[in-house]
Amino acid sequence: MEKITCTGCSLLCDDIIVKKDGSNIEEIIGACLKGVERFEMISSKHRVLKPYIRDGDSLEEIDWDTALNKVVELINKSNNPLLYGFSNTTCEAQLKAIELAREINGFIDSNSTICQGKALNVAKETGFTTSTLTEVINKSDVMILWGFNAVESIPRLLNKILFSRGKFRMTGREIKTIIILDPIKTDSFNVMGPRDIALLIEPDKDIELIETLKEICCTENALPSNEVAGLDKDDFKRLQTNLTNSEYISIFVGQGLLKNQEGKNPLKSLFELIDIINERNKKGRASIILAGGHFNMMGFEHVALSNTGQNQSLSFNNHQLIESQETIISKIENKDFDLSIILGTDPISHLPMRLSKKLASKPIILIDNSRSGTYLIADLILPTSISGLETDGTAIRLDNVPIKLKKVIDAPQNLLSDEDLLNKIIEKLREKREGI
Amino acid sequence: MELRLNSVRMINHDQSKEFSLGELDIMEEELAIAYINPQDFEEMYLTASLKLHISNENGEIIVNFEQDEDVPKGTVLMPVSIWSNQLTTVKDGEIVNKNIAVQVEASRDPPTKLNVIIKKIRNE
Repeated sequence: MEKITCTGCSLLCDDIIVKKDGSNIEEIIGACLKGVERFEMISSKHRVLKPYIRDGDSLEEIDWDTALNKVVELINKSNNPLLYGFSNTTCEAQLKAIELAREINGFIDSNSTICQGKALNVAKETGFTTSTLTEVINKSDVMILWGFNAVESIPRLLNKILFSRGKFRMTGREIKTIIILDPIKTDSFNVMGPRDIALLIEPDKDIELIETLKEICCTENALPSNEVAGLDKDDFKRLQTNLTNSEYISIFVGQGLLKNQEGKNPLKSLFELIDIINERNKKGRASIILAGGHFNMMGFEHVALSNTGQNQSLSFNNHQLIESQETIISKIENKDFDLSIILGTDPISHLPMRLSKKLASKPIILIDNSRSGTYLIADLILPTSISGLETDGTAIRLDNVPIKLKKVIDAPQNLLSDEDLLNKIIEKLREKREGI
Repeated sequence: MELRLNSVRMINHDQSKEFSLGELDIMEEELAIAYINPQDFEEMYLTASLKLHISNENGEIIVNFEQDEDVPKGTVLMPVSIWSNQLTTVKDGEIVNKNIAVQVEASRDPPTKLNVIIKKIRNE
């Protein structure tokens, strides 16, 4: 029996027990559906174990030397390579990917740019108040899920923060209130009890609610004259009462708040609201936690920031970081690339078709251990070990806490880790350049 | 009928899982699915054996559907997947995958297969 950290999502549960029989995992105890799926990938019959090159509709298996030579050939032909993904790998591999981008004068971005990383860009202007999960567990009496379906995105989050007993919340669930703001009644609504508040907000009207709250929250008996964003006066009053009288409000922000509404950025307004609550609420404080999904989405932000001074969308020229307003979206939209190197993600499936068609129009090198939409399009596929299960490393949890990942079993067929494969590519490129 | 499409993560219709562990030629069974309000079901004269043809200026797909009282009237809910992303778009440099106007009609054709979408992406 061994206690390990799960890399099924950004919660990085470090209380998972595995029973091993030699090189096989016999039993997994404590993992959620997403976690179990991650473990099942180890022995999936569809797992990618060999390098492949595309020949029309079919994939041809090739040896590693041929594959690496092909990578070098494609990169050397490219004048404008694009590197994307890196939120399902370790911080060590992320660092190596930035080194590769610098080496080949490429543009590198992570999934975070189109997800919770947007909030960090807003925070550069406004700053923001955040918490660790330990603080939430120990102190929080009100938890707000705003545009965030915790039950299906980060399944064990509520077990940890809502149903747990904290240092200052010894009675646990019965003194914790959960408020859900969402246009859809998601599965997260099913955990609600009598003291909780379900608020079905009109689509794209979050900004209206936040702006109203900025005006009157934490002000005694202040209520709007009309319905706000589909919330009637009673609903608004209940929300207002909780924001005014709670000791520690934790707001988890999901995908629902990432898009501009009425020409305004709801995240910026929310950060301002938090500041206002913290100023007016004499009794307690409020903070925000960004609920990204991929297990090391926050990692790329930290690794990029600490190594280059910029947290995402890094553009290199002459092996130096240059100023650029580009993002992964603008690069693909403008077809401003001639090769893409994708690691541990599936942009062909996850991006709107308009972008996936453009991405597919140029050669794709895919580094991944499982099939995906991108796998069905990529010109060259390089498999690696599964980070955190077959490789040690570091990841940054959704609340910005670094967590050590421990290798559980050996990778099959001596597959390299993402970090080692990226390193090998860099070495090959340098050898070629130096004529070795 | 015009509805608003919302694509959301659904743990039981998880694209990564289907790609990693499932069979590609029947992936549409889990991912080409939409949820609509029973009132919209009635207004569109749908029956259980029909499918939904969902389209907008970005693309079109045919999907299975289920009625769900938790889905607000006027909304069609889909799991995030290569199917829903045939209808999503980019606006002002941002991906728009929620609250998108779509036309929804009954169809007798089977759900769109993965290989049809892949060919479209490859421009074949």
